[in-house]
Amino acid sequence: MTGNTAEAEDLTQEAFLQLYRKIATFRGESAFSTWLHRLSVNVVLMHLRKKGLPEVSLEESMEPQQEDGPRKDVGTRDNVLAGSIDRVNLERAVESLPPGYRIIFVLHDVEGYEHNEIAEMMGCSIGNSKSQLHKARMKLRDLLKQSKAEKASARR
Amino acid sequence: MTCAEFQKVLPYIIDGGGSEEEQEHLQTCHICSDLVADLRYIAECAKLLVPMEDPSPRVWNNIEKSVEREGLAKPARRSS
Repeated sequence: MTGNTAEAEDLTQEAFLQLYRKIATFRGESAFSTWLHRLSVNVVLMHLRKKGLPEVSLEESMEPQQEDGPRKDVGTRDNVLAGSIDRVNLERAVESLPPGYRIIFVLHDVEGYEHNEIAEMMGCSIGNSKSQLHKARMKLRDLLKQSKAEKASARR
Repeated sequence: MTCAEFQKVLPYIIDGGGSEEEQEHLQTCHICSDLVADLRYIAECAKLLVPMEDPSPRVWNNIEKSVEREGLAKPARRSS
């Protein structure tokens, strides 16, 4: 979620300490793993706030964004990503996502949480979770295509 | 159905579902079908990022020290 190993380790420590401090407040209304994950996500969000980074913006924008317009990529089939992604490229692309998009992408696509679980953890609606995930994937697509194009032109 | 209309609902149908009209558009429009293929491929590749390493021992040592320092854990029982 942080995109940085050292930060992730520090926040792992903080999350476990929060767990010890707050364990008595667990009421069993959700699965323990969901509660712990929500606690961990909150630790990350607090950290982002302290760093002054934009938090997860879970509200749909009222104005359509430029990037929200329909994609009409003039496509040759060569332009599809299939077979071109490796771990390094993807890691780099995920690290450059805005924090809000990165958190949702990691929770859903990397860690396998369902949208209803993410919505509970993040305090948002299921619709918002789906929308943010879509935006994260679209941004990754743009970054990965750019990287692919740069590699192709470097080879010439 | 236009590409704009399809792509507006795409976040909510990409992982399953969608009306007959939306499915038909997906089958007949190579721009939208390429887009969906890319997004599903990205989601599939995300599994490459599942952490393969545990946090370093430093993390667990620091947690243990902090827990002791804050008095959050009961002292271990000694067997008689």
